[in-house]
Amino acid sequence: MTVSLKNLRKTFADGTDAVKSIDLDIEQGEFITLLGPSGCGKTTTLRLIAGLEEPTSGEIYINGRQVNDVDPGDRDIAMVFQSYALYPHMTALQNMTLNLTVSGLSKEEANKKALETARTLGLEELLDKKPGKLSGGQRQRVALGRAMVRDPVCYLMDEPLSNLDLKLRELMRTELKRIHKKDKVTTVYVTHDQAEALILSDRVTVMKDGEIQQIGDPVEIYGNPANEFVAEFIGSPSINLIKADVVDNGIAIEGNLVSNRNFPTANGGVNLGVRPEDVILSVTESGGLKGKIEFTEPQGGVVHAFVNLDLSEKKLKNRDYLVVSMDVHESIDVGTTVGVKFREERINYFDCGTGRSLAETT
Amino acid sequence: MRSTMYSRMLFGLAIVLVFIWLVPVMWVVLTSVKPTNIINSAVPIFFDFAPTLDHYVEVFERFRFGRSMLNSFVTVGVSTLIVMIIALPAAYAVARMNLMHGDTWALVILSLRFMPGMVIVLPYFKIATFLNLIDTQIVLIVVYVAFGLPFAVWILRGFLLDLPKDIEEAGRLDGLSWIQIIFRLIMPMAAPGIAVTAIFTFVFSWNEFLFALFLTLDKGSTMPVALQKTIDLYNVLWGSLSAGAVLQLLPMILVVFLLQKHIARGLALGAVK
Repeated sequence: MTVSLKNLRKTFADGTDAVKSIDLDIEQGEFITLLGPSGCGKTTTLRLIAGLEEPTSGEIYINGRQVNDVDPGDRDIAMVFQSYALYPHMTALQNMTLNLTVSGLSKEEANKKALETARTLGLEELLDKKPGKLSGGQRQRVALGRAMVRDPVCYLMDEPLSNLDLKLRELMRTELKRIHKKDKVTTVYVTHDQAEALILSDRVTVMKDGEIQQIGDPVEIYGNPANEFVAEFIGSPSINLIKADVVDNGIAIEGNLVSNRNFPTANGGVNLGVRPEDVILSVTESGGLKGKIEFTEPQGGVVHAFVNLDLSEKKLKNRDYLVVSMDVHESIDVGTTVGVKFREERINYFDCGTGRSLAETT
Repeated sequence: MRSTMYSRMLFGLAIVLVFIWLVPVMWVVLTSVKPTNIINSAVPIFFDFAPTLDHYVEVFERFRFGRSMLNSFVTVGVSTLIVMIIALPAAYAVARMNLMHGDTWALVILSLRFMPGMVIVLPYFKIATFLNLIDTQIVLIVVYVAFGLPFAVWILRGFLLDLPKDIEEAGRLDGLSWIQIIFRLIMPMAAPGIAVTAIFTFVFSWNEFLFALFLTLDKGSTMPVALQKTIDLYNVLWGSLSAGAVLQLLPMILVVFLLQKHIARGLALGAVK
């Protein structure tokens, strides 16, 4: 285990509970993401691991050693900040070698090491430039280089790509993935961008209000969310949450049977979580659930259709229209009345009252 | 088009303002090189005279300006240096170290500066007499440090609060100690703020008259006190007074000229914008 958090809590002086009892074990070489909306405690968790915040209670272990009272500089970790936090009065080379020289390496050795790292990141030409003379992407690389040159046991990254434009972000994302594949250094990565989390991570930790909602690999988090929050937070466009009734022979929406599953524990009914790509629209269907395509959003290869369901009351929990992803070549015209079906094996079921997944109860 | 007009108007206004400010300075400079009979002429003569350095010679010979200048440089220079050495870590502590009621403390420190000098100059005089420090450079250095420090801490605190915290945290992760963070990261980054603070501190002490008048007599007196000696009960020696004033002004111009790059940046950001 590289990083281990045991019952970690952080309450700030103003009484805010930023992190409420977190337990997390991060394996050697793992790329794990802390994902969640603003204020969910992900950055605070990262800063606790870094030693930039003191935990209110709980323990932090890095490489088996408890580091609660260890200075940030002695934790053998390297951090990449959202703002990059490069030293503005130092050149890129000096930025990269400061830690090495402070920890006792000679200037020549430090420069040699920095040059090697700079080569892998394509930074050789920029080493004598100060951060003010570098573009956003170049600064990002220098910040990454400053972390890499130290050979730490763990990288901590706090939304390192959020200040880059879309194209550069995609490029750096690939770069990060390549570096991690090559060096296999344990990485804790904070982001609010679920796409970034799904692309980069071995495991994703979804957080809300200072608590972990679910830990799992990207496929599991996307396919089997632990609760409605995770279901809604992951995926774009987000999942459709539809209120349904438990009937004798399965689950139905206003009498239209949509699933044969049975949930005896869900007395108050269930919410169905259906991803936009798991809805099948057909123009020929006569019986069952119906709706009308009100408008569409072409996205290139796919088209998102917004379907107004033909129901006596609003059943969609999180929006007005059922969102459906269609292949651009099979899209249906706006205004068409369509039959609506769900891929039954992919439906997620949530308890109406608690919002928790019912997958375990059957 | 409109913006060109606007900037021209601003430029014109700036010239007028600078002219208004510089007229008295020009008058003092001219007076310092005018022969005494021209200065005392009933009809003012502005430019039509043979310049002389007699008044400069007089302030050095008769009013011992050399010693006063040295006193000014020593007391003001040393006190400014001490103020800056103490103020930087103090300001850092107030700005960054999560002290209990840090903002309140910053205000308390500044409030020390609100005390009118006249109220405390007599107690200072008694203390200095008791310690046998009257008419020494030391007494003025102590007083200037005491008076300059609160203001310097306050201004520097503003500058430090404007610096990105991330960079210091990156320094901590790079293994720097607090002292190394202050000297290797904060000082270079806050250089404009430090320069502006040092200038404010320097200018305050350089122009200070009240404490110098009460606490020094002759050996330890600074330039403002020496200047005042050119005025007696019956006479104002305008030439000597002006020459002394010019000598008092020159170092200020020099300091501002040397640090103007930092001053412009320092005034544009930080607490004194």
